[in-house]
Amino acid sequence: MSTLHVVSHSPFTDSRLDSCLRICGVNDAILLCGDGAYGLHNAALQTKGVKVFVLAEDMQARNLPLPDWADSVDYPGFVQLSLDYDKVNSWL
Amino acid sequence: MSKSLLVISRQAPWSGPGAREALDIVLAGGAFDLPIGLLFLDDGVFQLAPHQDAKAVQQKDLGANLQALGLFGIDEVFACHHSLAERGLTTPASAQPLDSAAISQLIDRYDQVITL
Amino acid sequence: MKFAIAVFCAAHAPSSRRALLFARAALAGGHEIVRLFFYQDGVYSASNSVVVPQDEQDIARQWREFVSAHQLDSVVCIAAALRRGVLNEEEATRYQRSAVNLDAPWELSGLGQLHDAAQAADRLICFGGP
Repeated sequence: MSTLHVVSHSPFTDSRLDSCLRICGVNDAILLCGDGAYGLHNAALQTKGVKVFVLAEDMQARNLPLPDWADSVDYPGFVQLSLDYDKVNSWL
Repeated sequence: MSKSLLVISRQAPWSGPGAREALDIVLAGGAFDLPIGLLFLDDGVFQLAPHQDAKAVQQKDLGANLQALGLFGIDEVFACHHSLAERGLTTPASAQPLDSAAISQLIDRYDQVITL
Repeated sequence: MKFAIAVFCAAHAPSSRRALLFARAALAGGHEIVRLFFYQDGVYSASNSVVVPQDEQDIARQWREFVSAHQLDSVVCIAAALRRGVLNEEEATRYQRSAVNLDAPWELSGLGQLHDAAQAADRLICFGGP
């Protein structure tokens, strides 16, 4: 089983990404969107070893470079990701 | 067969309507006899703290809603052990404590999840 | 594939726009949306009283147009709406409030509709926060 976790809060002001990293499984993935895109600076995210995606428009808006350990997706890609994983867990 | 839903409640009891509205999702599911689980995570574990006094802030006591879980057939109630420890809370009688690995497995067991 | 999409944030939140763009992409990809369910602050995304400067995106209006154009089943949680002062004509009359800020295509109903949609869908996706 696998879960796509969606995080839209900045990891600098909010603990959702920390909690997500603590409880996510090895087959899970994390999609960063909104202010969650600032998570591309997060070292813990890189070392966790789960697949990391970022919503392209949020990376572009914030002028964030895409590191080699993450992939960017557009909205059709987001839709496809939601189907590639067994469920979607948005950290509201 | 019905799809199962895990509700992860992360809000402290009186930080707005969040805690109440998470419980409402759980109770509504129970009323329809759906397989629902409830996990208290992060500040959500404060909902389980003992001897709270909702009246002091003119709020409704969520305790009655929590006690109703069993009546609605909601037996799968869990609390994050790490969140409890971080906040100096002891293991509550009403929720089974889980460590992070167990929570990961818990999420895998359910068909859908809402984290609010 | 069938999606149930739940929105927990107001029209001015980036996640409301994100939900709308996801919903559009889902339909464009040939998928079905079994229901849109607006809960917590998501009820504000269904308000007909939002006023937006002309040079900004009017997400509340775009939701309305999207729902109407595709004749989607779109439900606003009645308990969450009342708590936040989002009322249709029937509720405004019932509670003797002067403003009606919810009308078609939105329907007010209970959380049972969220569960019903989750049961019918292949995926339940929630949007909220920033």
